[in-house]
Amino acid sequence: MIAFDRVSLSLGSFHLKDVSLKIGKGDYYFIVGPSGAGKTVLLEAIAGLHLPDSGRLLLRGSEITALPPEKRKVALVYQDYSLFPNMRVIENVSYGLRVQGMGKKEAHREVAPLLERFGIAHLADRYPGTLSGGEQQRVALARAVAVKPDVLLLDEPLSALDPVTQEKFIADLKRLHREDGLTIVQVSHSRREAHLLATRVAVIIDGTLVDEGEADVVLNTPRSREVAAFVGIENILDGSVTANEGGLATMDVGGRAVEAVTDAAVGEEVTLCIRADDVVLAVGDGPQSSARNTMAGTVVSIAENGPVAEVRVDAGITLTAVLTRRSVRDLALAPGTAVTLSVKATAVHVIRG
Amino acid sequence: MKTETLSTDPFPADGETNAIRWHRYRERYVDWCTIGFCILGGLLVGITVLAIANIASAELADPAHLIEVAATSEVVHSILLTFGAGASAVLLLILFGTPLAYVLARSRPSRFKGVVESIVDIPLILPHTVAGLLVYLLFMRRGWLGAPLSEIGLAFEDALPGTIVAMLFVASPFYVNSMREGFEKVPVHLENVARTLGAGTFTAFRTVTLPLSLRHMYSGAILAWGRAIGEFAGVIMIAYYPFIISTLIYYSFTTDGIHTSRSIAFTVILVSFGVFYLLRRMTRFMGRYDDRV
Repeated sequence: MIAFDRVSLSLGSFHLKDVSLKIGKGDYYFIVGPSGAGKTVLLEAIAGLHLPDSGRLLLRGSEITALPPEKRKVALVYQDYSLFPNMRVIENVSYGLRVQGMGKKEAHREVAPLLERFGIAHLADRYPGTLSGGEQQRVALARAVAVKPDVLLLDEPLSALDPVTQEKFIADLKRLHREDGLTIVQVSHSRREAHLLATRVAVIIDGTLVDEGEADVVLNTPRSREVAAFVGIENILDGSVTANEGGLATMDVGGRAVEAVTDAAVGEEVTLCIRADDVVLAVGDGPQSSARNTMAGTVVSIAENGPVAEVRVDAGITLTAVLTRRSVRDLALAPGTAVTLSVKATAVHVIRG
Repeated sequence: MKTETLSTDPFPADGETNAIRWHRYRERYVDWCTIGFCILGGLLVGITVLAIANIASAELADPAHLIEVAATSEVVHSILLTFGAGASAVLLLILFGTPLAYVLARSRPSRFKGVVESIVDIPLILPHTVAGLLVYLLFMRRGWLGAPLSEIGLAFEDALPGTIVAMLFVASPFYVNSMREGFEKVPVHLENVARTLGAGTFTAFRTVTLPLSLRHMYSGAILAWGRAIGEFAGVIMIAYYPFIISTLIYYSFTTDGIHTSRSIAFTVILVSFGVFYLLRRMTRFMGRYDDRV
């Protein structure tokens, strides 16, 4: 539906470099990356707010590189909501229809069901300055949807909301994607949001597209060490392959042998990625299991975070495991406790080169 | 009742505790910084008040003469002409200065932008006589613009258009800079959103940016108008006639003497103060949404 064909763009000292990607109809496409990576610029380029220095932009197969924003049928919701402070809620939501030539009464009638759907009908006569963050967000979303866009662009829409409102808004977005079949492109630096919503993910770092593909693939089996770090893989280790028997390789990682499924050749330098969710802890020697990687170690630290706890274990190499707080309590884990950690060979993602 | 008296009275009459209570009161209620600022600022206001009081005491001692001078058709006509010419200059500024201010507000910093901004500010830094000379040389009958325009019947020398164009020249930085500041305060995101919703550049400007800059437009217009109607040197170079208020006072001073010119000046002070007070009061109701941008 949307395609970037080797798009480069400069804005002052920032440069978007040679970006090529494809966003399909009905995708919930996430553009993730650290702050200042160029995510919003990419989003604004889709909206037509920046003209590329080189490359082409295609929408529904037609080139739109120089097409002005008002003719692209894309709607944009910014992180700060950007509601028009001089207009009431009803005027904000019907703005798109009004500037496209619809009469005031008809436009207000047209958006009435939307106000109901987003639960903001009772706010119709209020000005944005009097609304809460969550209410403003819903108004901004209703305003964008009111023009029936082909693509909805969301710039970090959840970052300014409290956790409870975030959950409600995520449910709204899921419903919008599922029921309306909208193509949504969302910029975010939250891995959690990407896990919950995305069907495809692009990772952009310092103006360069470093990974792109199915959400599960990009988030769980990243292509590079920097992507792995960004998508939040807790255990990233350097090692070298010492043996490989039919795809089951043994690697030396800081003097410990770690097994993983990979085609990497003997002697090859690799990076190992192990999600903290995949590290299992047992007290003492622990029960026998099918996991290929079992190491004895001691607990270094325990950091509780809501219902879960991150437990760091020194087993010659330091690994982080995520356990529920109840498990930590049941196992009586504390710094200094002797544990056995195990990781399945299939849970170790190997980045070659 | 007793408690209230104790808490508000800084000087209770019980010996030793007075000093402590006064110390507490001073810490709680006396802000020396604000008081210092008020004294310094008050001196500035005081000079203006003193000057007005000086002229008022002389004029109010002979109210019959004041009324006689103020009611002459020459003075009334001159005041109306000054205000009208100033308003015309401001209307032209709104027409031409608003787009310029918008372009300056939205364009990225560059050497060219810096040059244009400096050109806009030139009337601020020039002596008024130099500004008047510039206008005269450009709009005189043999001037680059004056010559072709006089051929189509638009004369500037000793004519109302000359007065207006001189006022426009000296007042333009006040309007353009205020308007630019107003536009800069409106986030570009608002325009971006309007564009993606289907508004063209001008529609986004008309429906979003301009309404959110109205207060700056209004206050810039008032400043520019005030600057325009007060102009003397710039105007006298190109249009000694028809008399606007500043040229009339000068004429009266050189021909009739201090007594009459002082009465005209006092009349102008009263009228201007009244008009500007009303205009300033009206800003309270303008652009209420600016604060929320």
